[in-house]
Amino acid sequence: MCQCSQQKSDLSLLAPVLEKYAAVPGSLITILQKAQDIYGYLPTDVLYAVAEATGDSPAKVLGVATFYTQFRLQPVGKYLIMQCQGTACHVNGSERISKAITEELGIRDGETTADGLFTLKDVACLGCCSLSPVMMINGETYGTLTPEKTVKILRSLKEQAGKEAQG
Amino acid sequence: MRRIVIGEGSCGIAAGAAKVQSALEPLLKEAGIPVGITGCIGMCYLEPIVDIYEDKTLVRRLVRVSEADAPAIAAALAGEDLSALDALTIQPDDEAFLKKQTRIALRNCGIVDPTDVIDYEARGGYEGLKKVLSGMSQEEVIDVIKVSGLAGRGGAGFPTWFKWDAARKSQSKNGSKYLICNADEGDPGAFMDRAVIESDPHNLIEGMMIGAYAIGATEAVVYVRAEYPLAIVRLENAIEQARAAGYLGRNICGSDFSCDMRIKAGAGAFVCGEETALIESLEGHRGMPRLKPPFPAQAGYWQEPSNINNVETYANVPWILTHGGETYAQMGTETSKGTKVFALTGKVVRGGLVEVPMGMTLRDVIFGIGGGIRDGRKCKAVQMGGPSGGCIPYEMFDTVIDYKALAATGAIMGSGGMVVMDETTCMVGMAKFFLDFTTKESCGKCVHCRIGTKRLYEILTRITEGNGREGDIELLEELCVAVKDGALCGLGQTAPNPVLTTLRYFRDEYVAHIEKKKCPSLECAALLRYEIHADKCIGCTMCARNCPAKAIDGTVKKPHVIRQADCIRCGQCLASCRFGAITVE
Amino acid sequence: MSEIRITIDGRECIGQSGETVLTIAKRNGIDIPTLCFDERVKIYGACGVCLVEGEGMPKLMRSCATEARDGAVYHTDTERVKRARRIAFELLMSDHEGDCLGPCKLNCPAGTDCQAYLKQIAQGNDTEAVKIIKDHLPLPASIGRVCPHPCEKACRRQYVDEPISIAFLKYFAADNDLFSGNKFMPEIAPETGKKIGIIGGGPGGLTAAYFLRKKGHEVTVYDQMPYFGGMLRYGIPEYRLPKDGILQKEIDSIAEMGVKFVPNYKIGRDESLEDFRARHDATVVAIGAWTSSAMRCPGEDLKGVFGGIHFLREVIEGGRPAIGKRVAIVGGGNTAMDACRTAVRLGAEKVYVIYRRTEAEMPAEKIEIAEAREEGVEFKFLCNPAQIVGENGRVKEVKLQIMQLGEPDASGRRSPVPVEGAFETLQVDSVIAAIGQYVDAAGFEAIEKNRRGVIAADEHTFRTNLPDVFAVGDATNKGADIAIAAIGEAGKAADVIDSFLRGAEVPYVKPFVSERKPEDIDFTVWESYPRAQMPARPGEERRCDFAEVNKGFDEETARREAARCLECGCHDYKDCLLIRYAQREQVLDVKRLAGEKHPNYTEERLVVIERNQGKCVTCNLCVRVCDEEVGIGLLGLVGRGFTTVIKPEFNTPGATDVCRTCLKCAQACPTGALRILFDQNGVRIPVSAKKRA
Repeated sequence: MCQCSQQKSDLSLLAPVLEKYAAVPGSLITILQKAQDIYGYLPTDVLYAVAEATGDSPAKVLGVATFYTQFRLQPVGKYLIMQCQGTACHVNGSERISKAITEELGIRDGETTADGLFTLKDVACLGCCSLSPVMMINGETYGTLTPEKTVKILRSLKEQAGKEAQG
Repeated sequence: MRRIVIGEGSCGIAAGAAKVQSALEPLLKEAGIPVGITGCIGMCYLEPIVDIYEDKTLVRRLVRVSEADAPAIAAALAGEDLSALDALTIQPDDEAFLKKQTRIALRNCGIVDPTDVIDYEARGGYEGLKKVLSGMSQEEVIDVIKVSGLAGRGGAGFPTWFKWDAARKSQSKNGSKYLICNADEGDPGAFMDRAVIESDPHNLIEGMMIGAYAIGATEAVVYVRAEYPLAIVRLENAIEQARAAGYLGRNICGSDFSCDMRIKAGAGAFVCGEETALIESLEGHRGMPRLKPPFPAQAGYWQEPSNINNVETYANVPWILTHGGETYAQMGTETSKGTKVFALTGKVVRGGLVEVPMGMTLRDVIFGIGGGIRDGRKCKAVQMGGPSGGCIPYEMFDTVIDYKALAATGAIMGSGGMVVMDETTCMVGMAKFFLDFTTKESCGKCVHCRIGTKRLYEILTRITEGNGREGDIELLEELCVAVKDGALCGLGQTAPNPVLTTLRYFRDEYVAHIEKKKCPSLECAALLRYEIHADKCIGCTMCARNCPAKAIDGTVKKPHVIRQADCIRCGQCLASCRFGAITVE
Repeated sequence: MSEIRITIDGRECIGQSGETVLTIAKRNGIDIPTLCFDERVKIYGACGVCLVEGEGMPKLMRSCATEARDGAVYHTDTERVKRARRIAFELLMSDHEGDCLGPCKLNCPAGTDCQAYLKQIAQGNDTEAVKIIKDHLPLPASIGRVCPHPCEKACRRQYVDEPISIAFLKYFAADNDLFSGNKFMPEIAPETGKKIGIIGGGPGGLTAAYFLRKKGHEVTVYDQMPYFGGMLRYGIPEYRLPKDGILQKEIDSIAEMGVKFVPNYKIGRDESLEDFRARHDATVVAIGAWTSSAMRCPGEDLKGVFGGIHFLREVIEGGRPAIGKRVAIVGGGNTAMDACRTAVRLGAEKVYVIYRRTEAEMPAEKIEIAEAREEGVEFKFLCNPAQIVGENGRVKEVKLQIMQLGEPDASGRRSPVPVEGAFETLQVDSVIAAIGQYVDAAGFEAIEKNRRGVIAADEHTFRTNLPDVFAVGDATNKGADIAIAAIGEAGKAADVIDSFLRGAEVPYVKPFVSERKPEDIDFTVWESYPRAQMPARPGEERRCDFAEVNKGFDEETARREAARCLECGCHDYKDCLLIRYAQREQVLDVKRLAGEKHPNYTEERLVVIERNQGKCVTCNLCVRVCDEEVGIGLLGLVGRGFTTVIKPEFNTPGATDVCRTCLKCAQACPTGALRILFDQNGVRIPVSAKKRA
């Protein structure tokens, strides 16, 4: 964890969270979750601020932040595609969906498109097995996917983003 | 009075239930017909589901409803005759899906409004807790559980009363004891616990508070996985309602017993389903398992006596207390009592949540309730127990649902994932899928799991890619046994099970991959070979135009040929050929 | 606390209640492997190599975390435990990347620890260097001059610029020691009373004598020649190795240890092998390969045709064979080079070397070829004698078949094939055949030979078919090889013979070690500093006499050259628990579990520690020690699962103030992943200083 990135986050946003939880033992994960809700990811300076407030060593904070898949150390795209890796999805062809996404957007698990629009993340079972294969984009679930259907959804999101940018 | 109830569990919503609700509400408002919600009805394959009630009686169940159906539904509801809705109404075959079940843990799911404690109370809710707190001793409560034969539904099947009793007897260091609910349901393909929390959160709260009383807990914590946001919202709401109604907090139901409850959201780590890793995570650390002993009952959360059960286990407790341990124990087999909830998914016709008494056969569940395999294909196997479990072949579907009987097959009861596979599922690929999962989810602490599962995955990968070597099967077996023996926690100790069971029942598939470089299920792309048969090809050029790799040569009206060196084995040509001229093997 | 009794591997052990199986086992002398246990920190249970089986227990248990139960019975050596443990080590090795030992040491047939003695030479401790060398090689001044140095062929410095001049540095240090007036002499173990007879006083026999005498045995070396040294004396010209000035002085040192020498003694002539054996507790046969191979072409029996090693021997013994003015030497090895350069010194005006392949395929040392050219030798490649034509019974000319290179053979070298009908004739007065040598084993009929007529010796015990007779060197198995190969065999055989004489024979097994591949290493971090050139007398001057060609390094050159060492071998090899146990568990095959590895990089922490990810086994001891024992928590685990790495927090501003430089993390590390960058005196170890910033 290096501070040389000269990152400057608005730490005042985090102050109420730290005030509430910093002194409560065992709250590190909760604090990081709330911090991510605020910043969209966990910037390095935020991790240091958490360490300082909780008294945990920065090494420990980074250790926790990198252990859990929910935490992100990099900003994500406008659309976060969570692709379900559950068993039912696997049996029903989720690999073809992954391939379709990668071919359409040129990103793999954990990567973000150059235009900052999409981030692809493989996630554990989303629990909508009867709709498999499934992906979730910004909270919305898309089920019984086929490669064609997937591409269509992605293109319509692109279009939508384009319109928003113009408007 | 007529009212409608829409099934809004996560998968109902994913299927569009909330959209149906917003379409219906304005239309029915005029007619004065209230629209309510319930949780997961369990028939996921029929979502979204709209139930029409006359007072408390379900008079009609509409399935696979879409927003477009809203005007027709509203119009029919306004009149007397509902027969206009016949086309949307559930078929008798599908009704059998529920009728063949025995619902205890799920008894309120799809019926009560999960956001309303009064609805729960109206169904006899909190009666068990009241009974316990109106004079039963801790020992008496534990005795009821002992008589019921309830065992841990998270997968291991350890007797619940034994854990409770150990935690009860264990001395606290500073006066605290904890009752923890493991709702970190991580098995891919299992969603029973989520359904219970989303659909009947008060049942969980009641079960937990009965347990809390039995062990003398001072605080109860529910550790919910991060991927279940709706469950967290519903449970938070329920906790507030329960606290307001006196079922949580100080002097519960007017007794001397005080205990509060809070939620801790997980952050995405399958290993936190292991109880000591869960405790580490609760304390804000990396979720890496502790050594046992000491067991959580002696030194758990904050080193204090702690009891951990999963959601389904607690969800059975209120019913057992109100109906008696003996009643519960009447269901099931010699060694496994009561019922078990399964998430039936995969290539099955009717997928969803199934609760059945122990002792039913796999065939009863998969064919009797699930309706067998989709698209007329042949059934190959069922995967039970997720990454810790195994694949049971179709030939063994007369095995009964019982901890011992299932363990004897090499699989496990598990938390309830039941993924059905047909002949198109490659079993080597299946093993690889699970090892990919465990490799990613291994916490990385112990060598056998950290590197061992990685190596298992790599060997399986090379087999599915046609690079399997002579001796790989033996190497897999040797490594599997060593990893089982050497891994620190349950995750690693059971991680080889998917490999071992597929090796046991589907060894010929491994041999075909390694020796003949063929995938009998036609799933492993690297081992497929597409071919155009000149006698059938009329030269329509469809395949060549569809081939993304431009690997098909030919001119109009002349038989085409696939250049195998360039073929990426995507199957587009096969899908596009209308003359049956392309085959794959 | 009360006393408890448990049984481990059938032995009753006493411990205190509350103690773990591991603790009790250790105290009772049972060494259960463990990598992640340290008394100072909490039990962790990660490495999984301390597994034991308890009778009546279904699961294997981690002995570090298992409280011993009174009366319980534990096993550390059941098949189940051994499998789980061996796999654990195989898995660990499959994600471990490092060089246990320098490639120089590994490629030296005698296993000489080049890296260690180069370091001593660099620091000016020549006698200390010789002490290290003599752990494997008792004739460093001689071998340093003549060895074709496989060590240098493996030297990684070649990927930066050029290999280190290891052999000549050995000669430099050994000369300094030999003439210091206070030369290194090994300690001799208490007398054992066992008598060992060594037949053959060449490098193999002398080495066996050195090591067996060191172990306290009574050793006598016999040789058929009047002087000792074998091929070092009779096969290598004086200008490369001064016999009286150097070789004999090294042999004298062995004599000073108490080894007896009996010259002019030949088995079969002076005594039968049977009688010889009867006089000794063990016999070592190291008779070498002293007969020149024939060319198998017509005219070989003419006057003026010589065998290469016979020719060399005759000259060394003071003879002046009549080779005339024009000489053709046949062959491309080092013996051919010795022969042609000797012929020059005998006054031949035209000396040819005839070799059937090209220069690129020549097995001789490049430097020897270059020096021969400097001395006027002419090389004729791609030809081979078809016939030696005589006149009056003397060589007149040699008819050469012209060759060309065909397909590569089994050894990978392209084999020469005759160009049909193409011949050339050279006018010569003599032909010296230096194309190989074989064993004359007369007198050793009782010893079994292999198909090629060479003595068959077991590769692990060096034993012949006779239980008390061992054999090493050119006379055995693969036949003639370089001196250091014979020395290597003799050293290993000495250990086997010693253990055999003490009643518990331990065969030699090549120990398993971890090795890196050069292609996986980034050499660009090193600054180039060219190899020191050995100063030599000019060709014009040296071709007239037999005085030594090389003048030796001056002190400054030698010290600097030695300091070029990249120190490839792990600093922690002797203390590394991972390799110690992996060798004990007989992990031999790491390939079968080969797979993805952690990226291998080196990073410096503060200024005191260097961390090598390739060697890290993620036991987490450094993290735990810093956290629990020191109370700072500067280190942490990052990521999860296979890719977990340990990261320091040293990039934090002010971390230099936070770290107490207590070095406890490095001391706790069970492998060589953490290296302290300062020596005992607080002086920064210079190795990294040579790296580019």
